[in-house]
Amino acid sequence: MTTLQPIVHPAVEGGFQLEVTSRRMQTESIVTIAFRDPAGLPLPSYVPGSHLVVQYGDAVQADSITGANAYSLTGSGNTPSEYSISVLLIEDGAGGSLAMHRLNVGDRVWVSRPRSAFAPAATARHQLLIAAGIGITPVLSHARYAAEWGTSASLIYVYRRGEGAHATELRELLGPALTECHDRGSFQQVLADKLVTQKLGTHLYVCGPPAFMDSVLGQARDLGWPDGRLHSEAFTAGELDAGDPFVVRLARSGVKLEVPAGVSLLEVLEKEGRRIPNMCRKGICGECEIPVLRGVPQHRDLYLSDSEKAENTTMMCCVSRSMDEELELDL
Amino acid sequence: MCSATMPPEPRVRGVICASFGATGDTADQGVGGRPGHHLRWASANPDSLAELGAVLEQSCVGIRLMINGPAADVAAAAAVAAEHGMLDEEMTLRVDEDELRILVCGHCRTATTVPSRATEVDCQGCHTSLAVTDHFSRRLGGYLGFSAHAEEAP
Repeated sequence: MTTLQPIVHPAVEGGFQLEVTSRRMQTESIVTIAFRDPAGLPLPSYVPGSHLVVQYGDAVQADSITGANAYSLTGSGNTPSEYSISVLLIEDGAGGSLAMHRLNVGDRVWVSRPRSAFAPAATARHQLLIAAGIGITPVLSHARYAAEWGTSASLIYVYRRGEGAHATELRELLGPALTECHDRGSFQQVLADKLVTQKLGTHLYVCGPPAFMDSVLGQARDLGWPDGRLHSEAFTAGELDAGDPFVVRLARSGVKLEVPAGVSLLEVLEKEGRRIPNMCRKGICGECEIPVLRGVPQHRDLYLSDSEKAENTTMMCCVSRSMDEELELDL
Repeated sequence: MCSATMPPEPRVRGVICASFGATGDTADQGVGGRPGHHLRWASANPDSLAELGAVLEQSCVGIRLMINGPAADVAAAAAVAAEHGMLDEEMTLRVDEDELRILVCGHCRTATTVPSRATEVDCQGCHTSLAVTDHFSRRLGGYLGFSAHAEEAP
């Protein structure tokens, strides 16, 4: 008899298995799921704005569709007994959100340890939180943390009528410090007003669709906000195409590997048995940076600056590919 | 002075220019064509620093601060600004040739003004003989001084 080993996605390695304790529909398309340790052990605390990578798909059968997605933890992070995430159903997505929506109480999932990339600035004298749509999830964590610790925070929350996840809780948490907007015009007015009236020492935190964040950050910069005051959490890196196949040569071992279209360099390296540190696998976190010796990478990440990209000496192997037929890596 | 030496970034919505001591004349007009708020004091003392703090308390994100004067005064003012939430990237510090530095006693915390070339001085607070170091605290706006002969056998 053979024992079936659970297949753990590389992105959740070093994490643990949790059990679904509750699921509740926030709106027609957003579900809130709470997890706890199956044995009731306490869960690690986390910094507000952290996320959890959750594996989806069948963890036992290797041939089923599996993957892992990052979801923001919505709690304050202080000695949590449960982890809670809110997931928007993406009809034509890769299957992660659908799998989350299908979870039932009692189901078990593999998750990573919480990871932080959107932490509050310790020196902030006030926090201006801005969220659009499902971008509310990490911002809710910030709002709860602020309420719990008595720090100063206000929130502009933009959502379509009837699709405001967590709106009731936020009203209770923030009272008059919450401004709800339902259309672009009214949001623009509120934003323009808030950006010029924040007391010195305020930090801005924004989460929402990429175009929304770009617009908010751009307007803030135009009004004299330095980058040190601006914090954003990208939750979608945008859909990337499969890309062209290319070859990588690993300079230290002389091994040549083919990277087919639709398969990431990171996946190819992992299949080869290489352990590449990684977290988001979406070109956001910067963990999977690898050194490039020769060839021009096709940079598709959101992590490297334009000048770093132009140097072509490093690349994020989770999303980036190659402009040349062959890349030589210092591995 | 500020306007001539430090053109502000184009997007800034206002500049506060704080000058201490005998730094050159402060221009009356705005800075780089933008609204400027000029403050001038003889030195950075509790009163002038409180006034600076009060101005910053009324200010909104989007402004920049320029501080001119002797090193000790500039550092003290920058520490007040940081306490009010200003980031380094929002401040421009312009230091005159400095002849004096503030030495903060690591034992009693008293600040003593010393010639910048001094190597050993007595603390005004606890009278310990202090070794003058180059270890600068931006928070305290001064250099660390510690008991000069603490590690020598009596």
